[in-house]
Amino acid sequence: MQINRGGSNLQSEINITPLVDVVLVLLIIFMVVVPLMLRGYDVDIARTSTDTVASQSEEAQVVLGIEPAGCKLLAPPEGEGLPRDCSVTLADQKVPVAELPKHVAEILGGRPTEYRVLFLDVDDRVNYEGVLRILDLAKAGVPDLKIEFLTTQ
Amino acid sequence: MLGEPSRMQASINITPLVDVVLVLLIIFMVMAPQMSKGPDVILPNTSKPIEQGDERGQILVSIDEAGGLWIDEKPFNPEYFADGLRAAVGDKTDPKIVIRADARLNFQAVRQIMLAIENTGFRGVGLIAKRFGAQGE
Repeated sequence: MQINRGGSNLQSEINITPLVDVVLVLLIIFMVVVPLMLRGYDVDIARTSTDTVASQSEEAQVVLGIEPAGCKLLAPPEGEGLPRDCSVTLADQKVPVAELPKHVAEILGGRPTEYRVLFLDVDDRVNYEGVLRILDLAKAGVPDLKIEFLTTQ
Repeated sequence: MLGEPSRMQASINITPLVDVVLVLLIIFMVMAPQMSKGPDVILPNTSKPIEQGDERGQILVSIDEAGGLWIDEKPFNPEYFADGLRAAVGDKTDPKIVIRADARLNFQAVRQIMLAIENTGFRGVGLIAKRFGAQGE
């Protein structure tokens, strides 16, 4: 047992191999993740004929209306939310946006998955970011909700 | 003394390797938010956008603040948009079209592009947003 005699055998260097491992793995993660970073919402445009969705009876279709009269969204909303007095029309009833997830879940949450479709009737003047925030709220109520935009040619 | 060879310094000096890798890592971290294709667009912020899958199978349609149309990196005149879209799709069997539209636009601009895409014969689009607080653009 010859420990430390002369001191020249002391291993005073830091072992950096684990550090290299971690950094290399981080690098690989970044290289892989960079091209996959887009996020968003899958939507569709409602069609009139030969469409499984449109073939539901008209009463069963739930329409969410967004109008500048109910919600002043002519410019991008400030901060992270929506204007406090903002309200939308869900199935012909006026609903404050804060309660939108709850109401969407009540109306559509109980349906079979293929009928969980929300039709959006959006006024052309409404700001695009505002539309997406309302869409996000509607999806918060029913995560696998399908979104169809009503539109005229 | 059989232990004699153990005093030889046989390990490779990896410090320069670490330096290079760290610099690469930093470059990637800095560049990552700026690597998206197309024009500069302020993306809408929302709380829970869903991942849109692998960018490599997608056709990216951008609408800038002025309403200008882009397919991937190229600007397009609205008249030639349908042709450009067909060319971009090529022979892909299941193309996914995503719309990267500026947050300052009104809904009309986006709706018209969605209609144009549907009229070209494609179903469904992804509307790109970014999470609150997420990096980039």
